[in-house]
Amino acid sequence: MTQRLQDIAASSIASWIPVAILAALPFIVGGSWTFTLGLCFANSIGVLAVSFLVRYGGEVSIGHTFFTALGAYAVGVLDTRFGVSLWASVPLALLLGVSLGIAFAWPSRNLHGIYLAVTTLALALAVPEMINNLDWITGGYEGLYVSTPLVPGVEMGLQRYYLGLAMLVAVAAAVARFRLSRQGMTLLLAKTHPAAADAFGTRRVWARIAVMGISGGIGALCGATLAFSGSTVSPGGFTFWQAIFLLVGSVVSFYGLSLVRVLIGGAFVTLVPQLLSASGAWIPVFYGLSLLGMILLGHYLPRIQKTLARRKGGA
Amino acid sequence: MDQVTNALRGDGIALSFGGIKVLKGLDVEFRAGEITGLIGPNGAGKTSLFNCLTGAYRPQHGSITYAGTSLDGLPPAARAGKGIVRSFQHVALCPDLSVRENVMIGVARNYSAGWASAFLPLSAGRKERQDMAAAADRVLADLGLADSADLLPSELPPGTQRLVEIARAIVGKPSVLLLDEPAAGLNNSETRDLMKVLRKLASTDLVLVVVEHDMDLVMSICDRIYVLNFGEFVAVGTPEEVRGNEDVVRIYLGSDDDE
Repeated sequence: MTQRLQDIAASSIASWIPVAILAALPFIVGGSWTFTLGLCFANSIGVLAVSFLVRYGGEVSIGHTFFTALGAYAVGVLDTRFGVSLWASVPLALLLGVSLGIAFAWPSRNLHGIYLAVTTLALALAVPEMINNLDWITGGYEGLYVSTPLVPGVEMGLQRYYLGLAMLVAVAAAVARFRLSRQGMTLLLAKTHPAAADAFGTRRVWARIAVMGISGGIGALCGATLAFSGSTVSPGGFTFWQAIFLLVGSVVSFYGLSLVRVLIGGAFVTLVPQLLSASGAWIPVFYGLSLLGMILLGHYLPRIQKTLARRKGGA
Repeated sequence: MDQVTNALRGDGIALSFGGIKVLKGLDVEFRAGEITGLIGPNGAGKTSLFNCLTGAYRPQHGSITYAGTSLDGLPPAARAGKGIVRSFQHVALCPDLSVRENVMIGVARNYSAGWASAFLPLSAGRKERQDMAAAADRVLADLGLADSADLLPSELPPGTQRLVEIARAIVGKPSVLLLDEPAAGLNNSETRDLMKVLRKLASTDLVLVVVEHDMDLVMSICDRIYVLNFGEFVAVGTPEEVRGNEDVVRIYLGSDDDE
């Protein structure tokens, strides 16, 4: 019991230390880095959305850009067309993400594994075309520019950075709390033993729909954050490849839902392509090697740590 | 209500998979206040009957009622809402949850804090979790598992995992409790503890049915025993009556004719 409490305390401290460092970063690094890190926070939320689906539903999505686009365009359209700030557009984005997550989950409730993954692929493929065809409101290829400040009078670059960080911390904290809730526990049982969940009052169909609704909502919050922190919303940000990158981020973070894990996934999605941008035709090769390196590191790190601890103990 | 009106009844339950008749028109009455044993060789249809009673299987013929109310057509989750719960032949605990949390799931249907409480630090969600944890801790203590509450199921031996599953089944104060081989994998001491718990559970309000291969356990705690073979009851009665039944002896021990 004591060991568990110590583990929980250590995990909590491990989450707050990076938050404190990130909160101080804008005073240390330049504007381009704060902009990039703002995008990294938004992508981390997207990684969290995909990992949530894996952890609680046991399913994989390669179409979460559908939900991120929903959130981003909810913010973009309300900002540019109606001058509505994030205070109103973020709740709307969340509502849209949850509603369409449920709407998608209902007809696909009996699909599993590769069949569900391919169904989500259909969503991802449809998104850019849908955005372009609705150009009278979405702005088409040109996209939308989000400029309404959240807090008037505060420098916009700082707002874009801190909003991303605050959203990430808030979503990660909410998901951590959800794990301890009645609903969270029953969803985990429904994933591993659907018959047992049924026998204790949790319908497996309900579980499936709830997981997709929550994941869709988190995906929409990712999009809303992307729109504000990235300042522009355009179809190029919601392609099929972007959906794949979110899945890659989820894999790199080993489907973790903690703040540190999703930050690792978000950083991989955001920073690795930027760091490799000078590599020309070698970008895909280096990207693949980085991905392989991260997965192998994640796989062998616990063993390496154990071996080092044994040697230290034996010395 | 008396023990008969509070009974779980099945009338003419027939279940087939393809051409194989698994249950052949069974009439059963599991009464409240009794411990009923359901025994029979492997493949006799015991778990299939449990699956029909809990709604996991839909029998092709027959009807099921509890306390005079029809359960036909109700899905398992709705039957659980009426207090009809079960344990599983193969342990079905969630590996991601601690022992306490697995047991808390057994009482979850009695709580209703909303979705906002699941994500936000609201008092309703905190209180719900505290109450559920307290209920789980009480049952774990009754079963001698208090020290295991914070462990993961994978950290426990198989027999203890089974006790955790029983704790999950009884924590919600069910009206009907169907235990599928609860003593499988338990050592003698754990089996004795289980028998004490089951005797304590046998109240006037509870329909308690036990599928079990441990004949010592069945004969010592059951008030009535149904013996199932090839989807049919071959004997029903008290432990003494069943022990003396020639058909039962033949099924369990074989006869000279079978050799």
